[in-house]
Amino acid sequence: MTFICRSAARRLALGVALVVLAAGCATAPKKDYAKLVAAQPRSILVVPVVNNSVDVNAPDYFLSTLPVPVGERGYYVFPVNLVKRLLEDDGLSDAALVHGADPAKLASLFGADAILYVTIEKWEAKWVLVSTYVTVEFQYVLKDGKTGATLWEEHQKMEYSSDSGGGGLLGAIVSAAVTKASPNYMPLARQASWKAMAFPGPGFPAGPYRPEHGIDLKQ
Amino acid sequence: MRAPVFAFAVALAVSGCAARTTYHWGSYDETLYKHYKRPLDREAWVAGLEETVLAAEQDGERVPPGVYAELGYALLEEGQTKEAISYFEKEKTKWPESRVLMEKMIRNAQQRAGNVAGARIPASTRGPAGAVETKR
Repeated sequence: MTFICRSAARRLALGVALVVLAAGCATAPKKDYAKLVAAQPRSILVVPVVNNSVDVNAPDYFLSTLPVPVGERGYYVFPVNLVKRLLEDDGLSDAALVHGADPAKLASLFGADAILYVTIEKWEAKWVLVSTYVTVEFQYVLKDGKTGATLWEEHQKMEYSSDSGGGGLLGAIVSAAVTKASPNYMPLARQASWKAMAFPGPGFPAGPYRPEHGIDLKQ
Repeated sequence: MRAPVFAFAVALAVSGCAARTTYHWGSYDETLYKHYKRPLDREAWVAGLEETVLAAEQDGERVPPGVYAELGYALLEEGQTKEAISYFEKEKTKWPESRVLMEKMIRNAQQRAGNVAGARIPASTRGPAGAVETKR
């Protein structure tokens, strides 16, 4: 009898865990991945970030966080700094020019299957009385390197306020950072990209370097 | 009884969303960030990339995509053409998707090495390495 009770409790706990897991990772509505699946990209070129915030350092800082989450999705990710420098040497030091260029031409220059365009919409901190509010907001667009068609896109906004009562582990990291004179946006920015690219979730299916490549969409 | 199960559930939930990584990235993103923060600290930039490469190699892990190439380019900027080419070659071998770009980089570096040897350009006047081949 006790055994049955225990196993029931265990099952209940596991059920709760699965709900937590599902809620944490997969609440966004399903996206259409037909074009992405058809394009079968193996490699992603992450180009310099367009900045719509007033912080001039934000695009380079944010660019530094992008190779890890993209690479972890199982795609070859081009060396972001090398790519940035080559574009600059070619007269494309303005990220907006890069984003405005023909994707197919850009992709062929590097031999890339797809291009990830990231735009910073917000990167700001506000201080109201004793509270600090940090906001980052990004737009991510993945385009086909052959046709220029949009394969995937996602918008992420992350906010942190020092009076929101903890906010878990991330809250602790950010709050430690904002107690200093200038806030550190990096933990929030990183979190935004992980969230944006998570799959199942708002992200995109795994690439050829992940074991679930080709089967994660069918599950 | 419930506590350990719950702890397991939390661990499961956390690992499902982030934590786990395929590659041994080491300090790669931190190194990039510091490079953009302090671009003149070339030593830290090269050392950080070398550290990431070494750590992955020593653990018998695959060096993450792009890291050999970044190191190669950093060394090219330092005028260490031969070392740069060897890292571009490694990137090309380990990551076939990089072939087109790495072949361009290797050709540029070789050309540069030729120019440097021929014209005896002093190290101090060497600018950043050549771009994607000029389309003229």
